Amino acid sequence: MASYLLSRTIQILLTLFAFICIVFFLVNAQPGDISNVYAMNPELPPDARERLQSQFGLNQPLWQQFLVYVKNVFTGSFGLSFSHYPRSVADVIAERLPRTVALFFTATVFSFYLGFMLGKIIAWKRGGWTEYATTLGGVTLYTVFTPWFALMMIWLFAFKAGWFPIGKFLDPVLWREAPIEANTLFGRMMLTALALSIVVFAVFLATTRLRISGARLIQLGSLVVAVGVMIGIWRATGTGNLAWDIIKHMVLPVLTLTLISFAGTMLLTRNSMLETMREDFVLAARAKGLPEKAVRDKHVARNALLPVVTSLVFSLAFAIDGGVIIESVFSWPGMGQTLVAAAIAEDLPLAVGAFVFVGIFVLLAHLAVDVIYVFLDPRIRY
Amino acid sequence: MSGAPLLAVEDLTLHYATRAGEVCAVDGVSLTIEKGQALGLVGESGCGKSSLALALLRLQPDNAQILSGKVLLDGVDLVSLSDEAMRAYRWNRIAMVFQSAMNALDPVYRVGDQIIEALEQHVPSARKQLIERVQELYDLVNLDHSFIARYPHEYSGGMKQRAIIAMALACEPDLIIADEPTTALDVIVQDHILREFGNIRRELNMSMLYISHDMAVIAEVSDVVAVMYAGKIVEYGTAEEVFTRPIHPYTQALMSAFPSVTGEKHELATLGGEPPNPLGLPPGCHFHPRCPFATDICAEQEPPTVRRGEHWADCWNPPEEQGDD
Amino acid sequence: MAVEVAPQSAAPSLRRVRFALAMRSLRENWSLFLGTRIGVIGLAIILFYLVLALSHPILMNTVWDERIYDPVVGYAFDETRQPAPPSRSHLLGTDPLGRDILSQLMHSARSEFLLGLLAAVVTVTIGTTVGAIAAYYGGVVDTILMRFADLMVMMPGISILIVLSALIGVEHFELALIIGILSGFGGASILLKSQALSVVVKPYIEAARAAGGGPAHIIFIHIVPNLLPLSFLYMMFTVTGAIFSEAILSFLGLLDVRMSWGLMIHTTEAAGYLLQVGKYWWLIFPASLSITLLCSSFYLVGRAMDEVINPRLRRL
Repeated sequence: MASYLLSRTIQILLTLFAFICIVFFLVNAQPGDISNVYAMNPELPPDARERLQSQFGLNQPLWQQFLVYVKNVFTGSFGLSFSHYPRSVADVIAERLPRTVALFFTATVFSFYLGFMLGKIIAWKRGGWTEYATTLGGVTLYTVFTPWFALMMIWLFAFKAGWFPIGKFLDPVLWREAPIEANTLFGRMMLTALALSIVVFAVFLATTRLRISGARLIQLGSLVVAVGVMIGIWRATGTGNLAWDIIKHMVLPVLTLTLISFAGTMLLTRNSMLETMREDFVLAARAKGLPEKAVRDKHVARNALLPVVTSLVFSLAFAIDGGVIIESVFSWPGMGQTLVAAAIAEDLPLAVGAFVFVGIFVLLAHLAVDVIYVFLDPRIRY
Repeated sequence: MSGAPLLAVEDLTLHYATRAGEVCAVDGVSLTIEKGQALGLVGESGCGKSSLALALLRLQPDNAQILSGKVLLDGVDLVSLSDEAMRAYRWNRIAMVFQSAMNALDPVYRVGDQIIEALEQHVPSARKQLIERVQELYDLVNLDHSFIARYPHEYSGGMKQRAIIAMALACEPDLIIADEPTTALDVIVQDHILREFGNIRRELNMSMLYISHDMAVIAEVSDVVAVMYAGKIVEYGTAEEVFTRPIHPYTQALMSAFPSVTGEKHELATLGGEPPNPLGLPPGCHFHPRCPFATDICAEQEPPTVRRGEHWADCWNPPEEQGDD
Repeated sequence: MAVEVAPQSAAPSLRRVRFALAMRSLRENWSLFLGTRIGVIGLAIILFYLVLALSHPILMNTVWDERIYDPVVGYAFDETRQPAPPSRSHLLGTDPLGRDILSQLMHSARSEFLLGLLAAVVTVTIGTTVGAIAAYYGGVVDTILMRFADLMVMMPGISILIVLSALIGVEHFELALIIGILSGFGGASILLKSQALSVVVKPYIEAARAAGGGPAHIIFIHIVPNLLPLSFLYMMFTVTGAIFSEAILSFLGLLDVRMSWGLMIHTTEAAGYLLQVGKYWWLIFPASLSITLLCSSFYLVGRAMDEVINPRLRRL
């Protein structure tokens, strides 16, 4: 198991290196002198231009530029952003990465859960209107023009119904008097979410391992208690309303991202279930006299999960692209919106920096899926 | 053998609805199995023998339907039971040893847990007792206790087959259905497992329905033999009768397709023609296009039953009854 | 001499047999395809947009005045206020710049088809070749190609295109090539390689090798033809991806194109009509719906083909 993960980590690192090389190649393969783009932006003050030139080694031969570039990537210095001057690229990214991670992680968990549950159900009850409606709805959401769909969500739930704010990360009016930085608060919110998921996961693991009867009830109860405690602590600190403001801004983008990406998991789960259902061990489970629900959940779905998780890798890139689009439509100031804004403003250092981080993010997510897979498939654990 | 049989199948008919049309996989089959008896069901692949086996447990695929007939286990008709009541019969009264041991174990669970799963369903008790029971079963099939907590991929083919047999014995069923359980194994392991399995079965006085296309295996394990062709039982009798004095030409063809170790040398005959197309079965006797003794009437009318004591077959042109050799 | 003549005379008849066989399986698959409802729906939508795309030049040359109906530089002099709601002369109204929406819609349909087709052809050409080569040679070649494919698959395509559009000016042609290269070396080669692996072990490949067929001969004459059904299937999904990517990029205003469905929504957004969905529906719905419908139609056709080719998914 350790050796498998080690080899996967090495593979991912090699991939990361290849990826960085490709980005360098892309940046340098364009016609004209790269230094024109990087350093000759007319809005740049002369001292900043010189600093840029020396930092990127733009006056040195290509291979030395490459070494400088690689060093810069690993030290996280991508120079100064043109559009956020004088902030550095690293600074902008450090502010926005957590926001993307929060959005993306929440939506991925929800959409995977939703997709897997629905896929399980429609595979089990083949034929009939449920399968037809869910498949049709899923395919529609899967192929719908994402910005349009996001727009309709905004129009419907924010503009018409007024339930949620229209885009952005927070309400500036509310935050004018705020005693705390939005980024600091957001950091604390993420820590809270992490603590919450650890507690829930631990309870879940404990109840299933120990085979306690009424595990469902204990799990549900502990979830309610944990959420209650968290809310209590936040209210006590007096920043609860600010956190609530951010959460309100998060709901609609998360919902939209979940809706556009669950269908992929659903259709995949359905196919994977249909193939698993032909296996002999499923017949054996039925022959053992297990109830249909146990056959479906314990045997078919559990095995069908494996290829679905494997293909998570394929859908990660898709989901991240979806995130980029959603962020720019909702003006959610994360990595995706940063990437698009930088591309429109031709702020190359920021665009490349954001892209490199998006790439690293994908690779790390990849590694996370590998780790999950090890726990799911006993054939990999040696 | 006294009193009512353990299992009586009466006029069972099973249809598949396929894209190309209705297929009659089991066509009015009647069978009985006495307590402690082993019935060998033999036939080519696709003749409906596996469909029959699954239908006994009501495990036929979704597109299959039992059109008529009864499956009486100790006088209770399984066909008309509710799904819930049927589940109580599965494994507890009728267990199954599956065709491919390779795939009959769920790869993501420990083998011991899969046996416990069956036990929990029918004879729930404390986990400690369940584990003890699994240990007993592993002793019975000669598997080491350390393998209880291992995953299927850590087992060899023969070990998997033993584990599957252990699983089938778990609830001490009255009847075990074995559907070509040793096909995937090499001959020596196959022979070994067959013999051990037979001994255990006799010791526990369980009945068995043994399904195979392999006459040699059938000869080794069964007391009574039924030969199936195109959804019908075409010959039935004690193993000795069927093997020494087969009536149906199909049985004769199957017999001559495997070499006899003790008998005199003779050409190995292979059965001519293709297995019947289940969508367009020939009229009259389904076997007539491949039958060397076929006459005109075989193509027109269903054959009559020829009885020689308990031994019977459906044929228009049975061989002359021989005296003792 | 006679020895050399024999294979030549045998070749055409063999080809004829092969052709007949191919036609027969094509006919069978076609009837299976027609049996899938989603496939028929998808095909109908594709045909609808094909008709739209093809009739645009005809309309421009006959009934539509170029000064009014040109999708890029036309202006609806006959309307007093722009954007004008749908009317008899402008069935889908006009955009904030006074251009006819229907004309824009039909004009763009053609470039969407060309873009999708080009991207799909590039993808499948690369994917089939790489897949066949990786499966045939195995070993180091396979490892390198497949590692590279893994990298490509992991890359978020839209994000790459966004960065590229900042680096170089991207038009439809470049876009199609980039998408083709990305998915050709990525997903397509992984999928087609796994299929090619099942072909490579077939006895006739061994026979071809024994008969002295070189690698190129075996790869292109024996392996590639067997990959065609699957690669045709993959083309459908590539078309969906290409049209979708184009729409996103031009919606974000990152493409150097003069007219496209995405650009139509971009124009709406730039003019500030984006959230007035109810009042100015014709500025948003026709283009958005077209993107969605055409994307889903190719996707549906792809899925229907998947059910035809992959018998495990077939309903009994």
